[in-house]
Amino acid sequence: MDTNRWLLILLCAAGTFLIRALPLVWTRRHLARRQNDTTNTLPTWLGLLGPLMIAAMFGVSLVPVRQDWVGVIATLAGCATTLLSWYRSRTLGKPVFLGVVVFGLVTYGLNHLH
Amino acid sequence: MNNPTSASTLSPWLQGMRDAMPLLGGYIPVAISFGLIATQANFSVWEATAISALIYAGASQFLMVAMLASGASTWLVVVMTLLINARHVVYAPNLTPLLPPGRRWIALMHGLTDQVFALAHNRLPQLPMATRQGWYSGAALLAWASWVLGTTLGAVAGASLTEQWPLLGEVMPFALPALFLVLIAPRFTSPLWFIVLGITIGTALLLAVLQFTNAAIPVAAAAGALAYYALMALNQKAGAEHGH
Repeated sequence: MDTNRWLLILLCAAGTFLIRALPLVWTRRHLARRQNDTTNTLPTWLGLLGPLMIAAMFGVSLVPVRQDWVGVIATLAGCATTLLSWYRSRTLGKPVFLGVVVFGLVTYGLNHLH
Repeated sequence: MNNPTSASTLSPWLQGMRDAMPLLGGYIPVAISFGLIATQANFSVWEATAISALIYAGASQFLMVAMLASGASTWLVVVMTLLINARHVVYAPNLTPLLPPGRRWIALMHGLTDQVFALAHNRLPQLPMATRQGWYSGAALLAWASWVLGTTLGAVAGASLTEQWPLLGEVMPFALPALFLVLIAPRFTSPLWFIVLGITIGTALLLAVLQFTNAAIPVAAAAGALAYYALMALNQKAGAEHGH
């Protein structure tokens, strides 16, 4: 067992945990102080970042595993199906499931046509 | 978005697990790839599994293994890993107003990945305060367990799995963009948000295509925020001129 390697894993783990957990402690303190000012809110820019980070994750995840025309067409078909299904059902699981099924069928179909 | 599960009779833990199911499609294939790559870089099955269990941050794990395999110094690897994970710093502050009090939340932040944040940010406001910790625990635990078990599976049998089912590794990861699309769709509420979200998604996609995947999320979010404030300023200016 390489001690240095384990030390490195533990350092990275501790650092990553602190990056995730410390802002919770800070924000709770910030909100507790603000309670006295009757403005129990976060800065606007911070609230804005939430949906923007999710939008950015969507953009990054759109790059398909397979970066060719099959991947692009399957991604477009999967996204259209997901969006349409969400628009009709306004649920979480069904649109994702249908999107993956259509993405898989289009990939499989185009693979066989090719 | 409607409330798909809060009216159900499931316990909050099971509700969280059910809502987190779409994450598995993205997590398991990538975790299998990580386990395979880690063992190919001379990490043991235990080391690969420990990295996934303790660090639990996809992109930085791949970079860490690659840097170690190429002989990079310990401190450089630590700094680079933490830099990639630095984007997580804004997740907890966004969730804090939605969380009931309790010390356990600090430990639960270990499960706050990009995807769990996106899911929690969307679902927590729809749930009663009393069920939120159970919901988050269930969702985060399922996601974490799938990542860790997927890594072990990849480290033990990754090569034969990817040989047997190559299409599965191509298809299942689409669950992630589909999930993000469902989470972001209700935000397209006005022309302003159409433009801002469009700029954010476009920038992230472009950066990811250009292989700047690690920088893509924070840079695209910053671009979106700049666009938001620029459009708001333009609106105010136009409003003021119209008033005169």
